[in-house]
Amino acid sequence: MSASLPPLIHVVDDDESLRTALLRLLGAAGFEARGYATTGNFLLWPPPDRPGCVLLDVRMPGPSGLDLQAALQRQNNPLPVVFLTGYADVAASVRAMKAGAVDFLTKPVEREALFEAIQRALAHDAAQRMARAEAERLRAAFATLTPREREVFNRIVLGQINKQIADALGIAERTVKIQRAQLMTKLGAGSAAELGRLAERLRHLPD
Amino acid sequence: MPTASPNARSSLVWLLVACCFLLAPPALAGEARHVLVLYSNNRLLPANLEFEAGLRETLVNSAESSAEFLDYPRFDGESYIRALTLFLNEKYAQPPPDVLVAAGEESLDFLLRHRAELFPRIPMVHAAVARSFLSSLPPLPADVVGVPIQYDFPGTIALALRWHPQARRLVVVTGTSAQDRAWEAELRGEVARFQDRVTAEFLAGLPTDVVLKRLSELGGDAVVFTPGYFEDGAGHQFVPREAARLIAAVSTAPVYGPFDTFIGTGIVGGSMPNFAAMGRKAGEIANALLDGVAPTALRLPEIMLPIVNVDWRQVRRWDIDHNAIPGDAIVWFKTLTLLEEHPTETAVSTAVFLMQTGLIAGLLLERRRRRRVEQAMQQQRFELAHASRLAVAGELTGVIAHEINQPLGAILSNADAADLLLASGADRRNELRAILADIRRDDLRASEIIHRLRALLAKQSVERQPFDLNSAVGEVEPVLRAEARRRGIALEVRTAATAAILVGDRIQIQQVLLNLVLNALDAVADLPEERRVVAVSTERDADCLILVVRDHGHGIAPEHLPKLFDSFFSTKHRGMGLGLSIARTLVEAHGGRLRAEPNPGGGAVFRVEWPMSNGTSTLGPA
Repeated sequence: MSASLPPLIHVVDDDESLRTALLRLLGAAGFEARGYATTGNFLLWPPPDRPGCVLLDVRMPGPSGLDLQAALQRQNNPLPVVFLTGYADVAASVRAMKAGAVDFLTKPVEREALFEAIQRALAHDAAQRMARAEAERLRAAFATLTPREREVFNRIVLGQINKQIADALGIAERTVKIQRAQLMTKLGAGSAAELGRLAERLRHLPD
Repeated sequence: MPTASPNARSSLVWLLVACCFLLAPPALAGEARHVLVLYSNNRLLPANLEFEAGLRETLVNSAESSAEFLDYPRFDGESYIRALTLFLNEKYAQPPPDVLVAAGEESLDFLLRHRAELFPRIPMVHAAVARSFLSSLPPLPADVVGVPIQYDFPGTIALALRWHPQARRLVVVTGTSAQDRAWEAELRGEVARFQDRVTAEFLAGLPTDVVLKRLSELGGDAVVFTPGYFEDGAGHQFVPREAARLIAAVSTAPVYGPFDTFIGTGIVGGSMPNFAAMGRKAGEIANALLDGVAPTALRLPEIMLPIVNVDWRQVRRWDIDHNAIPGDAIVWFKTLTLLEEHPTETAVSTAVFLMQTGLIAGLLLERRRRRRVEQAMQQQRFELAHASRLAVAGELTGVIAHEINQPLGAILSNADAADLLLASGADRRNELRAILADIRRDDLRASEIIHRLRALLAKQSVERQPFDLNSAVGEVEPVLRAEARRRGIALEVRTAATAAILVGDRIQIQQVLLNLVLNALDAVADLPEERRVVAVSTERDADCLILVVRDHGHGIAPEHLPKLFDSFFSTKHRGMGLGLSIARTLVEAHGGRLRAEPNPGGGAVFRVEWPMSNGTSTLGPA
C-alpha cells in the first residue's frame, strides 16, 4: 500500500530563488521535495499517489495558487495545501482557508512555522489516507454482500429485530439469522452495534 | 547766505530802484551824474564792501560812483592829509562830483574840514556815523544830511545775556589803538548796567596770544563781547573783524560783537547796524539829491535802527533757544530746507516722487507676489504630485510587499537551510557556498527594489535633466508588471527602438505612466480574461515623442470626456479623481499634451505627446 512511502512535498512558486531556497531547506530537514515554477507545471506532472502536501504561492503568473487549490479539489486530489504568500491580503487568506488550506503563511517564513505547518499537513494527509483506506476496505466488503444480505443489513441498521425483518421480507426467521451471520462475517463486525457504526461510516464515505 | 528776509528786502529795494528809474525826469536821464564816496578806512574793510554793495544797488543807473579811502587809522598826520587833499583836488576838479558821500566818522570829519576847498557847494550825505559822534560836532551845514547810526554795544551784551541765561561772567576784549581805547571806555561805562546780572572782566590792551589763551580757558558760565580791535597789546595791527575771527576761533564761550561784518567769523551775533542797509539808505538820499531835491526837504529817520544778526551755525553750536531769536532778526547761514525755499515745487515734486516710488514699489511688490504665487503653485503641484505618488504607493502596497518579501523569504529559507546543513555535520561546503551566493543576490535584489521605490516616492525637488523616456519606462516596468500580475492582467510594454530623450523630471514622467497604467488596470479589472490586457508603448515620429497607454476596457463614456482631466472627477468607487488631472499637469509642465481617445478595438487610449526639436525636447518643467 502507498502509505508506506515517505511523504513528498510539492513546492509551487514562480520565484526561482525562493523555490530553490525552500527546496534546499526542506531537503536539509530531511524531506523529499519537488519544485514547480507554475501551477500548470504541477498539474502537468501529476504527483505519484504518495503522501505529501503542497507549498503554494498565492500570486503567480497565469493561474494563481488559489486557482490550483480549486482545481485539486475538483480533481478529488486530497493533497493538503499550505499557502505561502508575499503579502497576506485578507480576502485571499479567507478564501484559501475556506477552501480547506492547512495554513496561510507569509514570506519570509520562520523555519519552525513552516515545518510545523508541513507536519500538520502531512498528519492531515496521513489521517485522510487512513480514512480513505478504511473506506475502501469497507466499500469492498460491502460490495461482496448479496442483494438479500444488503436488505437485511439495512433493516438491522434501522434497528429491526430478526422477526420483523423476516415478516417484512416474507422469509423465514431462520433464513434471516443465517444471512445476518454471513453479512457480519463479510463485513468483519462482531455485533449489531458494530454494524450500526459501520453503516454510519458507509453513509459518510467520500465518493 | 542771507535768509529770506534780506532777500525780500533786497527785492523790495530793487523794486524801489526800478520805480525811481521810471519816475526819474527824462531830461536828467541822459546826463552822467557822479557820486563820490569817501570811506574812512581802507578799501577792503568788510563794512566798506557791504556798504558799497548796498549803495551801488540803490543808486540810479545813470549815476556813476567813485570811491576813495582815507585808510584811517593806518595813515594819519598832517602831510598825509595834505597830500591826500591835493590828490583829491586834482582828481575830482573837473568835472566835480554831483553828490558826496562820507562813509564813516573820519571821512565826515575830513570832508567837513576840506569841503570848502575840495568840493564847494556840493551836497553831502553822511553814513555809518554814530549819533554820539555827531553830537560832538558843531551843527552840520544844511546840505550835509544822513541818518546816523548807533553801535549797539549794550543791546548786543543784553542779547548775549538773554540767549545764555546761565552766564555769570561777561568777558570784554578790546585793543590799544585810539579807537580801541574809545570803545573800551564806552564799554566800561555800559557794563555797569549789567553788574547785577554778571561780573564783567576786561581783557583790554593785551597781546593777542595772551587774550586767546585766556579765552580758550573759559567755562560754561561766560559770554564774550568784543568790538574787535585795530591794534593789540603787542603793537600788531588788525582789522577788527580778523581780531574777532581769532577770538571766536579759540573761545570756549560764545562770542558776541556789535558789527554785522563779524558775522561769519564765528561770533554768535549781536545787535548791529547793517552796513548794507546804510549803503542803501545813503543811495536813496543820494538819488534824491541827484534828482534835485533840496537837502532840507528830505524827511529822514532819526537813526538807523540796529537789528539782531545771528549766525545759525552758532545758534546750534551753543544750543540757543530758537524761540528767543526775534522774528525780524537776520539769520545767516541757515541752510534752508528745500520745502522752505520752494514750498510748492518741493511739495509737487515730492508728491510726484512719492507717487513714482509708490508705483515702482507697487510694481515690485506685484512682481514679488506673482513670483511667490508661481513658486507656491510650483510647490503645490510638487506636493500634489508627491501626495498622488504616495496614494499610488498605497495602492501598490501589496505588490511592493510581495516584491520585497520574495527575496527576503528566499534569504531566510537559505539561511535556515545552511543552519541545518551545518548542524548535520556533513561536509556540504559547495552547497553552503551556493546558498551564500544566493543570499547575497537576493539581498541585492531586495535593496534594488527598495531603492527604486524610494526614487519613485521620495519627496525630492523637481529636476530638469535630459533623460531617456524608454529607460524611465523600463525602471517602473517591474512594479507595473508585478501589480498587473497581482490583478491577473496582462501588461505589454513596447519601447521605441531609438533613444527618446526628454528634458525634465524623470520621476514626474514615471508618475504619469504609473497613473495612466493604474487607471488602465482599473478599467479592465472586471473583464473576461482575454480582454484583461493593458499595453504601454513609446514611439517616435518626425517631430514628436509619444507615450501611449492602451486598454480594452469599457472605454470612456462620451459625457465624461470633457471632465476627464478635471480634479476630483472620478467614475471609480474609491477614486480620488486626481490621477489624470495630475498626469495632465505634469505632462504640460514638460511642454507636452495628454489626450484621451477611444481605442478602435474598444477601450481607451491615453496618448502623451512631446514636441521635439533636434531630437531633444527643449521644453522642461516650468
